[in-house]
Formats: sequence, structure tokens, C-alpha cells
Amino acid sequence: MNAVNPPSRAPDGTGRLMERTCMRTFMRASALAATLAFVVAGCGGGSEKKGTGGTASGAPVSGAKSGGHLDVLSASDIDSLDPGYWYYQYDYMAVGLPTQRWLYSWAPTATTPTPDIASGMPKTSADGKTVTIKIRPGIKYSAPLKGRTVKAADIAYAFARDLNPRTGNGYAGAYYANIVGADKVQSGKTDKLAGVTASNDTTLVIKLTKPTGAISTAQALALPGTIPVPEDYAKKYDKGSQSSYGQHQVFTGPYMIKNNGNGKLTGYVAGKRIELVRNPDWNGKQTGDYRPAYLDSITFLGGNDLAVGSRKILSGRSMISGDYAAPPTAVLKSALSSRKSQVSIHGAGSIRFIALNTKVKPFDNVNVRRAVAAVINKNTLRLTRGGPALGTIATHFIPPDLSGFDDAGGTAGPGADFTKNPQGDLQLAMSYMKKAGYSSGKYTGKSVLMVGDNQPPASKTGEAVQSQLQQLGFKLNYRQVPHPTMLSKFCGVPKAAVAICPNLGWGKDFFDGQSMVDPVFNGKNIAQTNNSNYAQVDDPKINSLLAKASASTDAGERSKLYGEVDKTITEQAYVIPWIWDNDVNLESSNVAGVNNKFNVSWDLVFTSLKGGST
Amino acid sequence: MSSTDLLLEAPDAAEVSTVGVDITARSPLQLFWRRFRQDKVAITALGFIVLLVLGAFVIGPLLARAFGLPGPNVQNSSALDQFGTPTGPSSGHPFGVDTLGRDILARVIAGARVSLIVAIVATAISVSIGVVVGMTAGYYRGWVDTLLSRLIDILLAFPILMLALGIAAACSLGNGCLGGLIKPGLTVVIFVIAFVNWTYIGRIIRGQVLSLREKEFVEAARSLGASNRRIIFREILPNLVAPIIVYSTLVIPQNILFEAALSFLGVGVQPPNASWGAMIADATSIFDSAWWYMVFPGAALLLTVLAFNLLGDGLQDALNPRRGR
Repeated sequence: MNAVNPPSRAPDGTGRLMERTCMRTFMRASALAATLAFVVAGCGGGSEKKGTGGTASGAPVSGAKSGGHLDVLSASDIDSLDPGYWYYQYDYMAVGLPTQRWLYSWAPTATTPTPDIASGMPKTSADGKTVTIKIRPGIKYSAPLKGRTVKAADIAYAFARDLNPRTGNGYAGAYYANIVGADKVQSGKTDKLAGVTASNDTTLVIKLTKPTGAISTAQALALPGTIPVPEDYAKKYDKGSQSSYGQHQVFTGPYMIKNNGNGKLTGYVAGKRIELVRNPDWNGKQTGDYRPAYLDSITFLGGNDLAVGSRKILSGRSMISGDYAAPPTAVLKSALSSRKSQVSIHGAGSIRFIALNTKVKPFDNVNVRRAVAAVINKNTLRLTRGGPALGTIATHFIPPDLSGFDDAGGTAGPGADFTKNPQGDLQLAMSYMKKAGYSSGKYTGKSVLMVGDNQPPASKTGEAVQSQLQQLGFKLNYRQVPHPTMLSKFCGVPKAAVAICPNLGWGKDFFDGQSMVDPVFNGKNIAQTNNSNYAQVDDPKINSLLAKASASTDAGERSKLYGEVDKTITEQAYVIPWIWDNDVNLESSNVAGVNNKFNVSWDLVFTSLKGGST
Repeated sequence: MSSTDLLLEAPDAAEVSTVGVDITARSPLQLFWRRFRQDKVAITALGFIVLLVLGAFVIGPLLARAFGLPGPNVQNSSALDQFGTPTGPSSGHPFGVDTLGRDILARVIAGARVSLIVAIVATAISVSIGVVVGMTAGYYRGWVDTLLSRLIDILLAFPILMLALGIAAACSLGNGCLGGLIKPGLTVVIFVIAFVNWTYIGRIIRGQVLSLREKEFVEAARSLGASNRRIIFREILPNLVAPIIVYSTLVIPQNILFEAALSFLGVGVQPPNASWGAMIADATSIFDSAWWYMVFPGAALLLTVLAFNLLGDGLQDALNPRRGR
């Protein structure tokens, strides 16, 4: 459930993961919505790495060697130091997974949550309203809390922080709103969250106002908001309008940001550098941490130009890519021909799509929407982003690996004739226009408003859409604006009455259909500002399926229901999905990089240097 | 240099010293042409500009129709490789294609039309405003002069590019500004350029008029009872023709560059229409793999601006021979 925005260079990126700045705007807005997702703009979603491609597999290696130092080259920085704030791909990669243990997190290839601090999956009561989680005893904090162990109460406090406005969390409003007392904390009336308590040091109890599948399946518990925060230590920093706990945090993971041992970070320079060193108090081997943590130290270097940085990584040693969504096409092209083993391409779990506003003529007519779906040449649109390496042609909304993907028809899709031809089909499109009452098969009405990004590659995608729609007789009033403006002033504002938004994206928060389809298609989620239901879909069938699915705690049933929603979306052509993005990551030749499937980037606790410390 | 000056001076000297001798009278226009055609550089520049205008508006479109060449907005994804990167010059696309598979030759020609239209229309508007304001201020002086001159001072103090970006951005959304008079796209660009550029010529004209209005022939006209209108239009304006022509010619290349800059920054000509500035902006990110995308529109821009500058210099020399360079 993140809006996917464009990576700094690519105007349309995936939400949580890709474009942090854009995402952030979106996220705050979404926190109000029942569910959120991250807005993907420019980031990818797509299939697993093509098995035969010969690119870096990114699979965990057995017999990896310990030791050594790794540099991570990035354009920008993490968004916050506060675990309660972390929501973006780079936050998770740089600090989320290496420096902290979560209640549930994600081993590299997992598509269901990996118990981390928890000792097993959650137990839900018969009425679905009480969820009990046992946690592992003896997990230690770093200095200055040497010797203090993680207690269930610390995780209860973390939940309260997530809902507290001073933490700035982007997803708690979406996933934790059903916790008893959540509204009181969100509105700032109290700091105490009544619905999450510790019945003893190793038992966490979550009380819900209604059954909530995302919590019972642990999907929404596998987020960094569940990183324990010791209340007695953190209280003095959780004051005022913004918490400063991030700068003084204590660590539970195998690494920590370099600090002076008295609760002050010394290894972080905003925008420039994050230095991770081993956490001497980490006792993961005794407390069931799945992280092998091969490397001795990791430094993240910000301010690196995408093209220059990409070339440096490919030709240098002991470097990997950080927050880059994909290298420039020219670099990627040469890398894939001569250094294929240093390129790691993985489905990003996100989708790019064109939204047709069902409240604006002529797109209130399903046959006009189907005609547009039929005429769009998805291959050409994908070329504007860099071709097949950058993603798989999408035939429906939910990307591969998420529950609901197979139920919606898998890669082939639900099979409507207007989604079949990736090259577009003008004759078929004209036959739908005729069904819609345009006897010539071409549109003859007033010009329609289309608003897109003004930066390549998204601006190029928009121009390709423009030219394809002109074949069908559409006269377009086409405006190009910066990506955040496109969302905040046009496509996310029903009053702006934008008919076509060609540069939208959406990415997963976890491997469940809810984070993909609920924010974008639930009639409840049509908001006057920061709207994520771009097509303003208010379809009774979809609404009731979504209500049923979000209450369902059975993974198989959820998958079926979300698949059904996806089929309906495709059938009604509310949006035209055109690519499930890939993320492209780079490594130097002496790095044995491991990809994290959840985060679609390098997993630093599994990555090692070939030959160990060199 | 000195030989040119001698040649240019020769006719005047002849007129003075050979009064009564049988010699053909020459109009100022003939005199100008005699001087101008000696300037090979200016003649070449003029030839280039004539070719450019013909090519952009007549020959280019005709040839395209005759040979079925692709239009400037026709996208052809088969001219891209599997990474979507454009292919270079070939027999089908002599200047190569851009990232959407559009023919760069066709877009350079379409961009020439945009540049010339913007440059000429915006220059005409700014020169008209500048001349009216400058003559009014210079001729009437007093509080009118104070008011107009301070207005010019204020406008000159504006950060021009920022102002232009602001106006262009504000008018690029929805239905434009001033009740739809200024629509997004070309008219915004023309308005912005005219709005910020008239002040320079306004000042120059005011200065000229201040000195002309004290000249004997103006005194004479006034003493004969000529009206202000007659003095302004029949006595002073003809004497301003030379500076107006020279200045206009020198402002045109500035305006071409201004349009390119605005389009480069994304507030100029709207897609899918071609503009040299926008093409160069697009090309920067892929310059290392598609040099042709930047080189051809860049060369077109360079040559056009150079030609107008050289023509302006030549006109200045020919119209005002005594003025040292």
C-alpha cells in the first residue's frame, strides 16, 4: 500500500520503495484512508528475475565468508532515523533490516512474514478480535542499555508511538486503526494505547475493534513500526511536536549506527554518510535471529550521481547500489552485455497504470474505457522506461508474488480481449467505440484533460499515451507538471476532474492483495484531497468484496477475494495496468549480493564479499 | 576594416566635392544597399536566414509531403532498440530519431518554425511597445517621462528569468491567464518574452528622441506651426528607423535563445510540439548514447543565432557608417 512515486531521476517511482519524497506526501494523506498503499511512480513491479538470464541471482549463498567492508552508493539519504517513521525501501535496506529486529520481518526469499522477535505466528481468538503473540526472551539492546532485554511492553510502546502524530508514521493509520484505542492516540488525546498490552514479559496481546486480516496474518506486523522501543529510556525523547528518539535510539540488530555508547549517534551525517558497525551486544545466535550478518562494516554514501555512481559500482570493488531505482539505460545496456553477473533484476511488487476517471465523460462509459485499454500499446510504453529489463507487461493490477495474483489469472491475466494484445489493437478499440455509440469508431466529443509528469521517463510515457489516444480520435488537453503536483493538485483531487492520469503507480507494503487494491479501488477511499482512488471507482461489487477480504483472517480466502476484485477491475477497465516493474540493482564483481524479495533491494545482512575480508 | 571605411565614406565625399557635376542621385535606401552588399559576412548571414525561413515554412513541408517523410510528431517504436534507446542517423532518418522514435530532422524543422515565429512575433510586439513608450517619454518629458522611466527601471530590476518562469508556469495550467488571452504553450512564451524585453528598446528610443527633439529641423517644424502628432510621426519617427531595424535584428537572436531557455526549463512549447530548447533538454540525459539528439537541434540553434547577430552587425555598419565598431 504505498503510492509508488518516481525515483529521484525517474519521474514515476514506486511509493515506499522508490521515490521517497513523493511517497511521503502521499503517505501522510493515506494515513487517513482506511488502508494505504504506496504510490508507485517510476519504480517497478514485476516478475522474478528471469531465471535463465544469467544476471546476478541474488539468492542467499551457502558458505559465504565473514568479514570485510562494503560501500553503498546512493543519491540521497534515509528519510528519518526513527524506527517508527521508516517506510521507504532505502530506510529498510540501510537501517531497518540491519540494525534492528522487528516483531516479524522478512528473510531474503520470504513472501510470508518471518518471526523475528516473535517466536511464532500470531494466535487469533475465535471472534477474531484478540491476537496473542509470544516473543523470544533474552534479546539485548545496545549501549547505553547494556544488559537490558527486550520485553513485550517495549513492543506495546512501539505501537503507541506509531499511532502518535509526533512520530510521523505513514502507515499506522491504515493498518493499526482497528486496534482498540487507536483513534485516541492518533488524535493526540493520550499517549497510551489501550489495545496493545503485555500480559507478561514474553506475551503481547492486541485487542481489535473488529477482525483484521492484515494483523492476524502478521503481514502488517512485519513492518518496522514493531521494532521495540524501551519506554523508560525513550520517554525523554518522545516529547514535543516531534520525537528525537531516532538520534538516540538503541539497537537490537547485528549492526548499529556508530555511536558514542552514551546514546548519541556519531556515524550519521545527513545526506552524506551512514556508518554501520557491528553491534557488540547483539546476541542473535542465542536468540534465534535469522540474520547471518557476514560483513564487518557498511558505509552508505549519499550524493552520488546515478550514472557516475552506477559506473563506479560496476568497475570498482566492494560497492553496491543503494537508493537508485535503476541505472540509466545506457549504463544498463552495457552492463547487461558485458557485466551481466553484476546486475540483479527483480520484480518490485508494484504496478504502473493509466487511470480513467469514471466521473468524467466520456470515461463513465465502460466501452470507451475498454476501447482505450485496447488501443494502448504497452510495449511502446515499456520502451519509454527502458524495455523488457525494466518490467513485465501487466495484464491486471496485482503484481506477481502477491496473494491474489494467481487468482486474477497470473501472468496471462483474466483474458478479456482488450487486454490481450500488448501492441494495442486499433480495430478492436474502434469496435468498442462503436459499441459506446461513436458510429465512426472514433471519439468525436470535446477535448479531455490529461495530466502527467514533466520529467523523463514518465513524460515520455505520457507523450506515447497521447499519441496512441490520438489514433482513436481523442483530442487531449495535455498538461505536464512535476510529479508531486500531479498527485496533490490534479490526479489526487476529484474536483480537478482530470480525465486521464497516465503516470500513476502503486506498490505493495507486504505480500497481500490488500495493500494493492483497497486504497485504489475502494469506494470508501474517495477523498477530496490526496485521493488514491484515482479513477473514482465506487463499484458495489468491489466494495463488498473488499470489506469481506479485509475482515478475513484466512490467507487462502483473502487471496481468492482480492483476485476476484482484480478481475472486476480489469473487466471494467477502470485503470489500464501496463507494467509490473522490476528493480535493477548493481554490485561490484567481488560482492556476493543477496536480494531481499520483500524490499526488492540488496539484503545487507545476507550480502557478503567473495573471499571474505579483503 | 580601414578599406571598408574608405569605401563607405567615398559616396559622401563625392557628393560634397562634386556639386553640379553630372552624378546620379541616390536615395538613402540605395546608399544603404551599396554599403551593405560590401559586407560579405552579413550577406552570407542574410542568405542563411532566408534559406532557414524558406526551409522551415515552404521547402521542408513540401519535401516531406513529396517523399512521404515522417511528421515531427509521428512515433515509431521500431526505430528504438530493445532498451528503448534511439538509433542514430540512417537513410530513413538522416538526423536519427529521439527517445520516442520521432524523426529528428522533421523535429528540427518544426522547431525552426517555432523559433522563428516566437522570435519575430515577440520582437515585433516588444519593439512596438518599446517605441511607443520611448517616444512618449522622450518627447513629452516631464511627469510622463518620470512615470514611464521609473516603470522601465522597475521592470529592469526584475530577475527576468525568474519572472518569466513564474509567468510561464502560472499560465501553463488550465486555461491560461488573463481570461484565456494567454494560453499555455506558444502564446505564453511570446507574451513573456515581449513583456520582459520592451524595456531595453524603450530606453534607447527615449534617449534618441530626447536628442532629436532639440534638433534644428524639429525647431523649424515647430516654428512653422506643426502639431505634436506631425512632429512625432513625420519628423522624428523616420529618423528612428535605423536604430529600430538594427536593434530588432539584434533582439531576435536573444529572443530565440530565450524561447529555447524557457522550453529547456519545461515551461515553453508544450509536448508533443517540437522546440530546439526542449529537444536539447530531453537529450541531456542520454547524450552519452545518442549524440545526434543534442547535436542537430544545438547546431540549428547556434547557426540561427549567429546568423541573426552577424546580420545585425552588418545592418548597423551599413545604416550608420560613421559609427566606429
